[in-house]
Amino acid sequence: MFAGIDVGGTYTDAVLLKNDQVLATAKVPTRENLIGSLTEALDTIVKDEDKKRVKRIVFSTTIITNLIAERKYEAVDLLIIPGPGLSHDFYKNIPYAHIISGAIDYRGREIISLNEQEIETVLREIALKGSKKIGVVGKFSPRNTFHEKKVAEIIKKKYPEWQVEIGAKVGSQLNFPRRVVTTYLTCATRDPYHYFIESVRQALDSRAISAEVFILKADGGTVPLQRSEEFPVETIFSGPAASTMGVQALTAPGETAVVVDIGGTTTDLALILSGQPLLSAKGARAMEQLTQVRTLAVKSVAIGGDSVLSRTGNDINIHSQRMGPAYCLGGPVPTPTDALRALGLTDLGDRKKAIEAMELLGQGLSITVEDIAGKVINRVGDNITIEIKKMFKEWEQEPAYRVWEILHKHSVKPTIVAGVGGGAAGFSARIAEKLGCRSVKLPYASVANAIGAALAKPTLQVNLRADTEQGYYIIQEEGHQEKISDRQFNEKKALELAKNSLVEQALKYGLALAADDIEVTRQEVFNMVRGWDTTGRLYDITVQTPRGIITRIRVGE
Amino acid sequence: MNKSKKTGLIFFPAFDWAITPTHPEREERLLYTRDQIFEEGIMDLPRIQEYKPSLASIHDVARLHFCVPTIEKQTTEAHLIAAGAAILLSEKIVNGEINNGFALVRPPGHHAMRVVRGNRGFCNINNEAIMVDHLRSRHGLKKIAIIDTDAHHGDGTQDIFWHDPDVLFISFHQDGRTLFPGTGYTYELGGPRAYARTINIPLQPGATDKSLLYVLDNLILPIIKDFKPDFIVNSAGQDNHYTDPLGSMRITAQGYARLTEKLRPDLAVLEGGYAIETALPYVNMAIILALAGLDYSGVREPDYWPGRFKESADITESVERMVDELLQRWEMRDRVSPDAKKISGNYYTRHKHIFYDTDYIEENQTEHLRLCDNCLGYLVIDSDAKHGYSRSGRVLCISVPHAACGRCRAEAADLYEHSKRAANYKYVYLQDKHNDIFYSYSTDSDHEWRSAEL
Repeated sequence: MFAGIDVGGTYTDAVLLKNDQVLATAKVPTRENLIGSLTEALDTIVKDEDKKRVKRIVFSTTIITNLIAERKYEAVDLLIIPGPGLSHDFYKNIPYAHIISGAIDYRGREIISLNEQEIETVLREIALKGSKKIGVVGKFSPRNTFHEKKVAEIIKKKYPEWQVEIGAKVGSQLNFPRRVVTTYLTCATRDPYHYFIESVRQALDSRAISAEVFILKADGGTVPLQRSEEFPVETIFSGPAASTMGVQALTAPGETAVVVDIGGTTTDLALILSGQPLLSAKGARAMEQLTQVRTLAVKSVAIGGDSVLSRTGNDINIHSQRMGPAYCLGGPVPTPTDALRALGLTDLGDRKKAIEAMELLGQGLSITVEDIAGKVINRVGDNITIEIKKMFKEWEQEPAYRVWEILHKHSVKPTIVAGVGGGAAGFSARIAEKLGCRSVKLPYASVANAIGAALAKPTLQVNLRADTEQGYYIIQEEGHQEKISDRQFNEKKALELAKNSLVEQALKYGLALAADDIEVTRQEVFNMVRGWDTTGRLYDITVQTPRGIITRIRVGE
Repeated sequence: MNKSKKTGLIFFPAFDWAITPTHPEREERLLYTRDQIFEEGIMDLPRIQEYKPSLASIHDVARLHFCVPTIEKQTTEAHLIAAGAAILLSEKIVNGEINNGFALVRPPGHHAMRVVRGNRGFCNINNEAIMVDHLRSRHGLKKIAIIDTDAHHGDGTQDIFWHDPDVLFISFHQDGRTLFPGTGYTYELGGPRAYARTINIPLQPGATDKSLLYVLDNLILPIIKDFKPDFIVNSAGQDNHYTDPLGSMRITAQGYARLTEKLRPDLAVLEGGYAIETALPYVNMAIILALAGLDYSGVREPDYWPGRFKESADITESVERMVDELLQRWEMRDRVSPDAKKISGNYYTRHKHIFYDTDYIEENQTEHLRLCDNCLGYLVIDSDAKHGYSRSGRVLCISVPHAACGRCRAEAADLYEHSKRAANYKYVYLQDKHNDIFYSYSTDSDHEWRSAEL
């Protein structure tokens, strides 16, 4: 049996699955104490079952999102090595960053060496302030980790009790500013995340649950609880990922679906293109800055069931703020939820109060309650539809750097709109109509997120870069750099190295991975020509475990 | 017009396209530039907006070029994407979505002339020229300045706008006696109706940022001020860099940035530049920052230090003299009468011998400009070429300008119909920019193609 638990901002949802069947579901309000909500939901779903038969539990939690939003972490300092390029003024705005000298270029060659004296001076300053969490981030460090490692070594020698992170391991893609932010967040969240994980483990132990435990990441993949401590930031925004994976599990294979998750004040939109959840071309955004965290492409629109409604003439206005619950649930002003309730599209709240809310909204117009409620629903649906269309457009307009990509990327049209969460069903029909596709009523829609968590597969990726002219290769996820001794090194061998490394990593995750199952998502080879001779080759290879869900949920019959 | 502060960027390195695997114009060319701008996080800057390119249409190419035998035979998708990128950015600039732009694309285009029989100087079609004619035809822009800062003379662009007084073409480059294509002398000043709208500034090998900025401040900027263009294009070649393997100039990334900052082009389009590791990552980055109005002072090549390059006094003096001479030409621009020897009847004639270095084609052209009192007159090019040992056929190309008068349009149409029946040509082309309709006719198959966009 598999369990999935999504600890969301408002509710904690849980499901217990046996193969492709849903055995139990639970929905409890999320309290201040996340562990308490989590265990309450877990207890509800497994209460009648033999705990030993629960083999796998996957959580998705807002812990990291909350930690970052509320800045509940100790001070972090960064030592950054930007070298020449963009003006250092850009980095001076980061209050916790100390700039030190040194530079590595795009091929990983050292251009400017480190200055140990300068480093020691900066470290003394940090010591005086009392911070003990340090990130070391260099420009082009994924191409050569030497500087970052050297600085980390100096720190370890002088201040052995400090916690040090290096940028190359946390952010292996080429984007220095995003690597800086990602490293910062990793430093900041590691300790509090560790305490959280420990509490989870204790809670499970006390219940004699021995299942393998995983955490859901922003990219819709899972990571074993233990390993999630290495890069806690990856678990940011896993809620929308859970819903998206849930829709994938509840709909037919190959659909192009729009996932509409309508919450209290925001609506999260995600896309499944021909059966595959769409990843964001950029990383996740935290503290209003881009990171290198891989994430599904999720768009948050400031419209929700509790959004405040007003009217100008015949036009309905939807405001981004919330002034309390819906009118029909005792709130002060009319909301979209009241429109749904007035039309009988939800059972939530008091119908009389909902009608009253619509009358308030329509005051002065000779209009029926049904008509004004219909107007509200159309308005909400239309606003969301505009955002969905923008998402498709943005996907089509994602830059491409090859002729082949430009010629072969064609626009796609959604086939279904899948509403998840409380009020989505009432609006998704309108959205589907506007998009010219079907609206599907998902079974278990209100716990689709928990189903997605329960069924998500682990995602592991390995990026290999080899430079035969300089004679070395790097496995970027491991920060592992090695000489190429094989004179016959070629594309096939590079690919083999990457695949082997992935299989090894998977083993550490307790995942037996067959070489045939490995997906190659990037395989670039560049001939390096100097003068008129080929002097070497550059290989850039990305391999990953297959993304997606373990199985689809059997529906109906 | 809504005035955006953003700089639009199309980065199209064509990682799957090369002339040949070891050719300078190969997949690897913009690889390190990609590394640099991605690692610096340039695309994430609030001032930068990245766009995906779209393909130029066959119609856009037909408006400008005579591709022999057909456009499809002379272009690959990569060419259409490079030209399409320039068009897309120019439209976003004209409609105010972005303030300026940089098409960081390959393959390049500035050696492609009006008639295209193959690849010369790594170019098949002229990205900037196609874009300029698109802007004039579709967006009603009139006066355009193209400043070519590639180390090689922009002979293709010069050829295309030679007779056009509404397009100011200024090229500075390494002296043609020392570098392909061997043209671009100060005496090349444009046709009888466009005198001094072509300006060439050949610089001696070894010229540094100092001369570059002198030419800019004392010649190019004053001329632009007089000309008052609606749109400024920079053919931004980067082979004046001190590390370029083909050129012998000594311009630095900082020099390029200052040039860009002072010139303030609406759109820069990458041309040549083959120091793919030592120059391009830094020069491209410097140009992007300068366009976006951001601090570029931190961009420098690993082996550069301020004051590294000292220009010889000879070079400095000769540049100063040349600038004075060209300024005088510019001042006289509307008082110079055309060379009488080249005029016979109503036509102004010039002969051209064109060499396609990449494809080894030799072409001979006789160009007749109809001298008309009411308009700029139509252009007739009679072209014949040898591909190695074989002839590729004589063709006749007729081009009717945007603002042609009724008589010229009628004459050109008659000439086209008449030439279709004459036995001497393999292909006959009529480019009617006035009506935006383009014809090509094959005498062998007696088949006519027509390109029109509604």
